[in-house]
Amino acid sequence: MNEAFEITIRSICISGLATLLSLTASIPLAYYLSKGSKAAKILIPTFEALIGVPTVFIGLLLYMLLSIRGPLGFLRLLYTPYAIIIGESILIFPLITAILYRVMHSTWATYGELAVTLGASDEQALILMIKQALPGIIAAAIMGFSRAIGELGIALLVGGNIRGYTRVLTTAIALEVSKGSFEAALTLGLILIATVLSFSALSRIIERWYGL
Amino acid sequence: MTIELRNVWFTYPGLKRWVLRNVSYVFNDSRTYVILGPNGVGKTTLMKLVALLYRPNRGSIITWGYDYWRLPKDKRLSIRRKIVYVHEKPILLKGDVPYNIAFGLIIRGVKHDEALSEALRILKDLNLNYLATRNTLTLSMGEAQLISIIRAIIIKPKFLLLDEPLAHIDIDKREAILNMLRMLRRGYGITLLISTHDVSVAKMLADEILVIKGGTISKIG
Repeated sequence: MNEAFEITIRSICISGLATLLSLTASIPLAYYLSKGSKAAKILIPTFEALIGVPTVFIGLLLYMLLSIRGPLGFLRLLYTPYAIIIGESILIFPLITAILYRVMHSTWATYGELAVTLGASDEQALILMIKQALPGIIAAAIMGFSRAIGELGIALLVGGNIRGYTRVLTTAIALEVSKGSFEAALTLGLILIATVLSFSALSRIIERWYGL
Repeated sequence: MTIELRNVWFTYPGLKRWVLRNVSYVFNDSRTYVILGPNGVGKTTLMKLVALLYRPNRGSIITWGYDYWRLPKDKRLSIRRKIVYVHEKPILLKGDVPYNIAFGLIIRGVKHDEALSEALRILKDLNLNYLATRNTLTLSMGEAQLISIIRAIIIKPKFLLLDEPLAHIDIDKREAILNMLRMLRRGYGITLLISTHDVSVAKMLADEILVIKGGTISKIG
């Protein structure tokens, strides 16, 4: 049971950091695109199409990049939690950006002119947009987190399922199934679902707490 | 301190006709202009061009002697902060009324507490104390319009543009807003631009009345 707890915490940390990493790129990009950029007409449908890319394909590409003979092999990131974080952040980036674009687009339509006419600088307008769009940003983050924590291909290929180091809930489930320990696999699966639901519920509580 | 529209042409992306055609006009200091015309003739477009929210497709907008859209971005902000546009349908931020009123001051660098105190003071001066504890989600349309006008006034702009300020207002709030506009005309040194389709409001408030027809200013009275 201790190991299950440890794997759960590791999964939350890895997927949480991947979500944060993805958000730091997605928020400014979605904000820029939502202000009427012509690039949105090409980028947003592309991102929407990329949402369905198999995780194992991203894992494979990342493996080739990070393997010792790959172009980024010198970074020595393969089979580390950092590799999973990078892979998962790439995986959820199109999803989060596409959602945030829709959120920011409607927020900008409502509050963009207001920010400009009240004299906000570009930075102040961005902060205002983030504040007004916060419920949507939280929803996008939760969806990204759920997708990241539930993926298997990346964690297995670039994480390697190393016990006590890169083993996360999905790779642990796969391992238990391969061993024929269906009861353990089912328990881990239930923990995974409970984790996702808990974070979703927590986001709702935060939204209500702050009156968003 | 003037805003001059010089041979301004404007259309929206995808629209295959000009909304405004070759409009030239000088808005002078400390006067009240009322823009009259039925819905859809381009009143809001003209207001938003003067408010520097829209960039003309042709022509230029001269603000305080500078061609605004040719200025570098950092110089535009200081001019933009002298002009405030209030939307026809009031837009308020999530949060309470004092925060909304104080917002323009906060982004101008006034300390949060001082800006909120100023917001509470102005509410008291206008006998609107009862709104001080309200969340913006609970306001009626009239109350929201009052707050959005107060939020503009507290900044002390040189130009205040009010787009159909009485359009969605019930009768008691209409009188409150009219009183506020009369007060602004008298002693605040603000240039007011008010768009309306109500001739009686235009006659009541205007130093000059501009009638928009066929995409241009057709009559000045």
